[in-house]
This record gives sequence, structure tokens and C-alpha cells, in this order.
Amino acid sequence: MGRKTLADINSGNGEPLISIRDVCKEFRRDAITIPVLQGINLEVAPGGYLALMGPSGSGKSTLLNLVAGLDRPTSGTVTVCGQSLERSSESQLAKWRSQHVGFIFQLYNLIPVLTAFENVELPLTLTSLSRRERREHVEAALQVVGLNDRSHHYPRQLSGGQEQRVSIARAIATDPTLIVADEPTGDLDAKSAAEILDLMERLNRDFHKTIIMVTHDPDAAARAHQTLHLQKGVLVEKTHE
Amino acid sequence: MTSLANEKTKATKLIMHILFYIWRNLTRNKLRSMLTILSVGFSLALMTVLHGYQAMQASWGKEAEKYQRLVVMSTQGFSGQVPIAHVDRVRGMDGVEAATPYAWFGGKYKDEEMAFAQFGCDPAAVFNVWDEFKIDSQQLEEWKRTRNGCVVDRRLAEKRGWKVGERIPLQGTFYSFNLDLVMCGTFDSPKTNDSVWFNWLYLDEGLQAMKARGAGNAGTIFARTQKADELAKVAKAIDDRFASSENPTRTQTEAAFAQMFVDMLGNVRVFILIIGVAVVFSLSLVTASAMAMSTRERTTEVAVLKAIGFSRRRVLVTILGEACAITLIGGLMGITIGGSFLELLHVVSSQFFPFSFREMLGTWIVNLIFVSAAIGLVGGIVPATRAAQLTVIDGLRRVV
Repeated sequence: MGRKTLADINSGNGEPLISIRDVCKEFRRDAITIPVLQGINLEVAPGGYLALMGPSGSGKSTLLNLVAGLDRPTSGTVTVCGQSLERSSESQLAKWRSQHVGFIFQLYNLIPVLTAFENVELPLTLTSLSRRERREHVEAALQVVGLNDRSHHYPRQLSGGQEQRVSIARAIATDPTLIVADEPTGDLDAKSAAEILDLMERLNRDFHKTIIMVTHDPDAAARAHQTLHLQKGVLVEKTHE
Repeated sequence: MTSLANEKTKATKLIMHILFYIWRNLTRNKLRSMLTILSVGFSLALMTVLHGYQAMQASWGKEAEKYQRLVVMSTQGFSGQVPIAHVDRVRGMDGVEAATPYAWFGGKYKDEEMAFAQFGCDPAAVFNVWDEFKIDSQQLEEWKRTRNGCVVDRRLAEKRGWKVGERIPLQGTFYSFNLDLVMCGTFDSPKTNDSVWFNWLYLDEGLQAMKARGAGNAGTIFARTQKADELAKVAKAIDDRFASSENPTRTQTEAAFAQMFVDMLGNVRVFILIIGVAVVFSLSLVTASAMAMSTRERTTEVAVLKAIGFSRRRVLVTILGEACAITLIGGLMGITIGGSFLELLHVVSSQFFPFSFREMLGTWIVNLIFVSAAIGLVGGIVPATRAAQLTVIDGLRRVV
């Protein structure tokens, strides 16, 4: 798969899955305004795999939050999967996320009182699927991550790598268009991290999931189609090799 | 119709998911859940006993409404005199079917204080006044013949293992005369009566021989009217009859007599109410504290739920439901414990707790269940609202 530059991404052909225009994001702490993102422009085509890198406080997580519909920009537009997120209410965003976005967290964030099966089933309980259909979806998702045999285990009975795989199964259970991952390998040993990255690559390649991943790890970023760097809230182009 | 059915199915499914999640969360920290449930349970057990006692008084009044009986007592209350001569005068009045003196003895049985109720009455009339009570005719005749004879509620006799011919010595506490009773038979009553009935004359003759205070006093008179709709008329006629005498009377229905005991608890009822409010308030704080701890520990989880699409309302309902589930389980446990305790009191001391818990089931139980749920709602509302209002960014600050 050929590596693309920022210019390639921003001038990609066809309808982009993610379109970010002139986005600024500021946070207010008492009377102080802190600019976090400034003039961000970005487009990601369907099936893209983008890695976001940058030092702590550079705004990469904030950008990921905007793309995932967890936050709204101070100015500018964020359009993902055809939805203008900056104008959506919180309940609209919640519903939109349940249909279009899968989340992979650094610390897995599985619900400890639910089994692997039940954790994966959780987002499906927001759909109108029947019990049987939900079971089929969960089994398929666990099959993809190779944990069908651990479906009745609780998170405490799983290794870190297995927990993250369950977390990935939960992210893909509803068959979302977009997967956002924040440091998915940040808490894993090298072997488990490599397995997770293999899995994400497979999701992108075989299941055509669009993935945006925040990472500090250059090896993880190297698995993405493209890598963007953020510095002090500004997107900068860097060479990939 | 299909759309309506779909909506119903969807709502049922949603409720089932929420209940399932609530149940799993209850098992998250078993010790904390158990301690919270126990604190609610034991507090509501106390409330159940207190309210149950009130309900028992109310049940007595309700039960008494079934029978057309009047109670004649002194206008001065239980300390006043009702001369024995009043009994015959009451019997002779229009509308009165039967009447008997009914004197509370309150004696000590062996070493037991107030072990059971003891009443001096007229053997020839008492079963005409309580015509729903049944006794073997031969045993009744034997009682009539035996001056120091007595008849005993069958359940009391069985509990004590008493047989006909049993000697039942009673040491006077209000009266200075001691009774040496012989059991002549047992009677059956619709509700546990837990009483011993003896001949009033036996007591009176003893008091007269000792020249002791209380001789000639019937205590109260219980009378049965011929017609149920004549209770008020006959009661007024009785009081009018004795209004100008040295011992005027106050006559009321048995139900009103029972209510009088409830009214005597007036301040106690207020006291119980205040205790109840204090218990509810403190339990709400306990629940709020437990739920606040529980939700604080789950901040990230709540954020994850919201990230994957759970609405504010669903988070609110889940946390509130969890608080209500804890207090409802505690409440049901408390009502069960309190009810069992009342039942035990009924078995052990039927004279003070004449009604079985099963006979008192009513709105007060439903109220206690509502109180349990309300404690959950009040205790859970703040943590639930805070969880619902938590932004995903704040909850996942460390992660996303």
C-alpha cells in the first residue's frame, strides 16, 4: 500500500469520509482561553488508515475527539460520514456514534462485571437487533479477534492483549464505518502490541474500516497509510519514511 | 398496531438490558452492596414493626366492626366504677340481646407478668355476647357450676399444654385477691384471643371477704344488640339511663373502643412518624453515599458507555435503578424481617399482638415498599444526575 502525503490526503478523489475545515478548538480555564487546535484542515477517504502523532499537549487527542463526535469545535466544520458534527446536539451525537464509530482505548476500558461476550454485546443493545442477531454479531466479532473460546471470561481473567482484542471486538460489533483508537498499544508488551496492530491492519484491509489512531509509537504509526503530526495545535506535514 | 407492538417490544428489551446491567453492577462490590442493603433492611424492619403495631390496632377496630357489640365503661375511664347492678339494667334495656361484666384482672401467672389476658365475666352470658366464640356445652355447664372455674382460648391452652382440670394460680396485681382457677374447658374464637375467662363472682366474693377495693365493680360491660343498625340508638339509651346516676357511663361500639386504644397512642404515632422520617432521611444519605462512591469509581466506565452511544437518560435511569434496586431489596428484606418479628410476637404474646402479620397486610406494607423505592430515588438522584451530565471528555480524560 503506497504511502500518501498530507497534500495527497487533502486532495483525495471522491467523497471524503472525514472532512475537517478551518477547525479551531479553544478551552477556557477560568478567564484564560487556551487554544488547542488552530486552522485544521483535513480529509480522510473511506478505508483510510491515519496515524496522528505529536508531543503531549499538541492537540492530537482533541482532534480525535472532534472526529469521533465526542466534542465540538469552537469554530470550523467537522463532517464525518455525512454528518455535520459541529451542529449536532449531544443526543444526536450519541446516536450517531452508536451507528458509525467504534472506540479502542489505551486502557481497554472493558466493563469488569460483564463477560467478554457481554462487553462486546453492549453497543448492540442500543440497536433494534434481536437476541439471536446480537449473538451472531458478537460471535462474529469475537471470531475476528480470535477470542471465541474466551467469550465467557471476565476481563480480570484475560491478559492485557486479550482485553484489548475484546475491546476491538466491541468496537467492530456494530460494524461501524470509522474506528478511532487512542494509543491502542500503549499499555501492551511488544508481542501483544504487534498482534493488535496486525489485527487493526486486517480490519482496515479486509473489512475496509477507516481507522484514525493516535500514537506515540513510530512503529505503530508505520502500519498506517499515512501519518500526520501535530505541533502546538497545528497540523504539519512530515515525511513518513 | 404493528408499530405499537414493536415499540412495546423495544421498551421491554430496553428494560431487560437495564435490569441486567443493574444486577451486574450490584455484584460489583458485593460487600458494599450487602452493607447498604442491610442498613436499609434493618431500618425498615424497625419501621415495619412500629407501623405493624399501629396496623394491628387498626385491624382490631376493623374486626370489631363485624360484630354488633357495645362496650359500656365509666365516664371516668378505666379508673372509674361501673357497678355490677348496671349489668342487669343494661340487659333489661330494649334492643340488648345479652350483656356481661368484663373485668380485666391483669394477674401474674407464676413468675410471668401479664402472661396472658384474664377477664372476670358472667359464664351464663359471655358466650351470648361473643356468639361467634364456640365452646362445648358440657364444658360450659361445668364452668357455670364451678365458682373458681375458668375457660381458656384453645390456642392458649395448646401453647401452654393445659388440660381440663389444670390449676391456674393467678396473683393479683391490680386486685389484692389471688385467684386459684381450675380449667373447665376451652373455647374457639375466630381470631387468637389468648384469654382466660373466669367467673366474675369468684373475684367479687374474694374481694368482699377481704373488704378490698374493687368489690362490686364490673370493670366494663360488653353487650350485644339485637340488630346491627341499633348500635348507636342503644348506646345512647344506655348512657341516658345512667346519666343521672352516681356512676354515669360512656357507651361505644367495640370498634370505637378499639379506636380509643389507637387514639391513646396519639403521641406514640407522632413519635413513630418522626422516627420514620428520620430513618428515611438517614437512609437516603447512606444510599447517596454508597451510590456516590460507586459511580465515582465508575467514572471512566460511564464515559465509555456514553462514548459508545448510551444516552444521558439511559445512564440516569441505570444509576437510579441501581439505587432503587438496592433499597427495594433492603426494603423487602426489612419488611420480611419486621413481619416475621411481628408474627413471632403474635405467637408469643397474642394478648398484646392479637393479629397475625398476614391478617394485617394492607396499604401500609405497600407504603413501606414505596418508601424503599423513594429512598433509592432520593439517594440516587444526585450521583445519577452527575453521572448523566458527565462529559465523555472529562470521563475519559486520561484516555481519549
